[in-house]
Amino acid sequence: MDLFVTTGMNLIYAIATLGLVALGLAVVFGLLGVMNMAHGEFVMLGAYSVFVVQTAGLPFIAAVPLALAVCAGIGVLVEWSVIRHLYRRPFDTLLATWGISIVIREVVEAGFGRDFKSVDQVLPGTVSFLGAPYPAYRLVLLAAIIIFFALLLVWYRRSNTGARIKAMVSNPALAAAVGIDTARLARLTFVFGVCTAGIAGVALAPLVRIEPYMGIDYLLSSFFILVVGGLGSLEGLLIGSAFIGGFDTSISTLFSKTSGYLTVLVISILFLWLRPDGLYARR
Amino acid sequence: MVYTRAASLVILAGLAAVPAVFGMFTAYQLGLYLIYGIVGQGIALCWGRAGFLPLGQALFFGIGAYIAGAFLKASDGAYIALIPAIATACIVPAILAAIVGLLVFNRQIGSGPYFSLITLALAMLGFQLANSLDGITGGFNGMTGIPAPAGIDSFGNYYFVVLGAVAVISLALYWLLRTPFGLLLSATAENEERLQFFGFNTSGLKAAAFGISAGVAGLAGALYAPHQGIVTPQAVGFLLSAELVIWTAVGGRTSLAGPLVGAVFIGFLASELRNTFQYWEVVIGLVFILVVLRLPRGIVGIGETAFKSITGGWNKPSLPRDQKLETSGPALKPDLVFDEVKVTMGPVTILDGLDFSIHQPGIHAIIGPNGAGKTSAFNVMTGRLRATAGSVRWRGETVNGMKPYQVARLKVSRKFQVPSVFSGLSIDQHVDIALWANRIGTADLFSMQPFRWTSDLYSILAERFSFLNEGDRIAGDLSLGQRQMLDFCITYLSEPELVLLDEPCAGLSTAETADMIAAIADTNRHLGSTAIIIEHDMRVVEGLSNHVIVMHQGRLLANGSIDEIRANEDVQAVYSGGTK
Amino acid sequence: MSRNGVLEVQDLAGGYGEITVVRGLSLSVKQGQAVFLTGRNGVGKSTLAKLVAGHLPATAGTIRFDGKDFTSQPDHARRPAGLGYAPQESTVFDTLSILENLTLPYDDRDLSRYNELFLLFPRIKDRLTQLAGTLSGGEKKILSFCRAIGEETRLVVMDEPSEGVQPENIDRMGAMLEQEKTRGRSFLIVEQNLTLVEHVADHAYLLDHGECVFETQRSPNMRQMLSDRLNL
Repeated sequence: MDLFVTTGMNLIYAIATLGLVALGLAVVFGLLGVMNMAHGEFVMLGAYSVFVVQTAGLPFIAAVPLALAVCAGIGVLVEWSVIRHLYRRPFDTLLATWGISIVIREVVEAGFGRDFKSVDQVLPGTVSFLGAPYPAYRLVLLAAIIIFFALLLVWYRRSNTGARIKAMVSNPALAAAVGIDTARLARLTFVFGVCTAGIAGVALAPLVRIEPYMGIDYLLSSFFILVVGGLGSLEGLLIGSAFIGGFDTSISTLFSKTSGYLTVLVISILFLWLRPDGLYARR
Repeated sequence: MVYTRAASLVILAGLAAVPAVFGMFTAYQLGLYLIYGIVGQGIALCWGRAGFLPLGQALFFGIGAYIAGAFLKASDGAYIALIPAIATACIVPAILAAIVGLLVFNRQIGSGPYFSLITLALAMLGFQLANSLDGITGGFNGMTGIPAPAGIDSFGNYYFVVLGAVAVISLALYWLLRTPFGLLLSATAENEERLQFFGFNTSGLKAAAFGISAGVAGLAGALYAPHQGIVTPQAVGFLLSAELVIWTAVGGRTSLAGPLVGAVFIGFLASELRNTFQYWEVVIGLVFILVVLRLPRGIVGIGETAFKSITGGWNKPSLPRDQKLETSGPALKPDLVFDEVKVTMGPVTILDGLDFSIHQPGIHAIIGPNGAGKTSAFNVMTGRLRATAGSVRWRGETVNGMKPYQVARLKVSRKFQVPSVFSGLSIDQHVDIALWANRIGTADLFSMQPFRWTSDLYSILAERFSFLNEGDRIAGDLSLGQRQMLDFCITYLSEPELVLLDEPCAGLSTAETADMIAAIADTNRHLGSTAIIIEHDMRVVEGLSNHVIVMHQGRLLANGSIDEIRANEDVQAVYSGGTK
Repeated sequence: MSRNGVLEVQDLAGGYGEITVVRGLSLSVKQGQAVFLTGRNGVGKSTLAKLVAGHLPATAGTIRFDGKDFTSQPDHARRPAGLGYAPQESTVFDTLSILENLTLPYDDRDLSRYNELFLLFPRIKDRLTQLAGTLSGGEKKILSFCRAIGEETRLVVMDEPSEGVQPENIDRMGAMLEQEKTRGRSFLIVEQNLTLVEHVADHAYLLDHGECVFETQRSPNMRQMLSDRLNL
């Protein structure tokens, strides 16, 4: 029973964190159509924010405003200087954001060095959950992610924001004609996306290695999730996270980390080829 | 032309002098960058010409390198092994890429990011496999101790081998881009669907281009293996793939020199910076962002602009149109049957048992209220919409379910409501493509002769539409009316036997409408072909046709002469024709 | 309401990049009026509509809406100020459902404002959940018309609303426009279909080479005058 609960919790935890990490890319790529290759670098910036506040002797929670400020600032700068010139040019955004990812990575390396950083455990120790001991921080994090997604889902369902973003992408001139300030909406969407990536970085920091090159893994797994789940909906994002998280976790446990990764790769290729709209196509 | 050839020779001579002037080590580095540049040339063929971006080109480069390395190791650099080594290193990646291309392109029209991401994922898969297949690739440590062919020194005269390969590949690709195949690749990038309606299998064309680019990458890999003496999984991986694309973009993806310039420029920039500035990659990243933003044609683009302003632009080779094509003779009688065709999309019924047939040549009109399913009837006939039930048969062959190019090969041609042309191509190139439709053989694709083709109909149309004679004008610069006319001309130039015209007069003024009606009537009579025209304007219908098919809610409502339709009570109930 | 028109265009010029299409055009739309622009293709009708809607920058002249200078007002700010637009091409959001197309400008998803339009064009209401991209060209025009009429704007600029629409539905559009006029709304409509012009226009301008070459008030022989000059 304990083992069952622990394994189940681990799986749910893996899915929830994957969903959180992929959310930003889902917004920026799925809604805005910008294939942001620097997505993982924003996760990395969030993780380094935790390192900075702990080094300064501040409490963990102070990393949240810091990460938001850093990601929003860089997000605005990047959107203003690069992205806004490239909307509706998917290849070019892919290449330009690749360049941006190099720059962010190298600047962080220049500031903090190439070595691994680790941050102190927050809420160390375990609590009993359904009779099984489970790390307290993970449990709190899991609850926070679930609440966050629930709020997001309610808001998204009620507002026309998603439809407006899609309208802006598919027909910007007409969107402006119905009164949508397209430049502002695009900038806000992009900044929202990179900020959630930063928050994901903060949340994961106590549990992962922090180094300048950590972003690429998060970019890839986010991308696989979107491919499998389908673009443009929260439901698709969660289904994709469950699918990728489930396969990766179970194959890795049963065989090896490499075979888990290979499975995910092959699944993604098959989806890209046979079902590019993903499992949860909107219509 | 003369200028570019002279310039190429000067550059080649300059490159040949590098070992003597800058020393062997510089030449060794330059050789490596040129090898990467060759891969970039293949990327440029796909991306700059055919409009799709392969992101995992290192996969083919690495496969070529491993194959050549294995051959060289097995034969200890004997010359006898060179030809099979190079051939295998080229052909295996080429076939692999062509298969991947066919599989992917056949399912997905267009050049969205999905193809690119599949190639990227394949490169990552290759990297994992190269790492884990220790027995073949040497695993993480790589395949080591690859000898150079006898008498060749990697740090010495091998440079000239690389240079020779660069010259040969550049020439071959230069020639390829000038052939009809090259023009069709441009047309694919401009408007893939339209090209399919001329009977060209665009996924085949794209797969061929991808295969060629992979073959080129494999050849570069074969050059790389003895140059470095070692091949590691990095040669297959994600990072090298991305870098190859970066070099191509920085140098210029629309030219053959661009990728070489990009690889050499970034290569030397990086090796200079690496020694002086620890965070040199920031500079590379910034250069790259700048190029994407400001120089879509890359570094070479700056040169080209300057060069053009000096020489006033070089002349495109223009062959005289002096080979008159035979007309296939009077068209056979039409035989089109819509047999209880039903199309549903989710809860919506678009066609609801549409049933009619056409057996007389001449012009037939389809009218009906908005949403009656008129355009959908065309779509189900030309592979754009899938029939849920029933069938459409043209001369006994079931055409629903066929791909657009297969339908076009049965001499069915279609003009869309919105003019659909190749915006970046010239009027002459449109004429070429239309004349090639259903006529050009595979061998002709790689010959210059088809550029000389002409036909009686072309002469007639050129007399009627004077803008056809301004062959150098780019279609994107034409007015909406002229694009409508150009689309009409190329639709008929392929000499179809059944022509589907969807509101050919939409957006035209009264005077232009009259011209268009006359052109349709005359051209159709000249070819003896059959045309079906969707039209709202009864005046247009009256001027063209005496057979009218009325559709309503996805079904046939009435079928007969104009007078019969006018007298039909059902028609009067739902539809009362008016005039503009 | 002042004596001046809702829309006052003075010596307006503009076009695409360096190519000037509209050269010094002046016109005025008064409250409750429908003003039509007609002329052959490429004479600058659509360009004028885009200039008024703010999709193209004016290179000279002024646009005044409701007495305020709108010449350099950004395009997205014009609708909230009461100036709607239905373009000639790309008339709807293909990737959105019909419902989303209609409710996009609002924060609620209330469809009651479209009740009258649904009575005229029932097929739109029957297919609310369908993607607008699956509609035919004429149906998209109707959807775009409904969206523009449903918006509570004081002036609507429409670019060829009848293109690809069957005559019966054009008549319905005309009736709807007449009704909206009595509610004090104004229209500036680019149109080649003289039937619609004949039925709805209070004033018509004939354009050629980016200039107004003829104008007429509503009159019994307006259609004849326009068509004579169009065919010259």
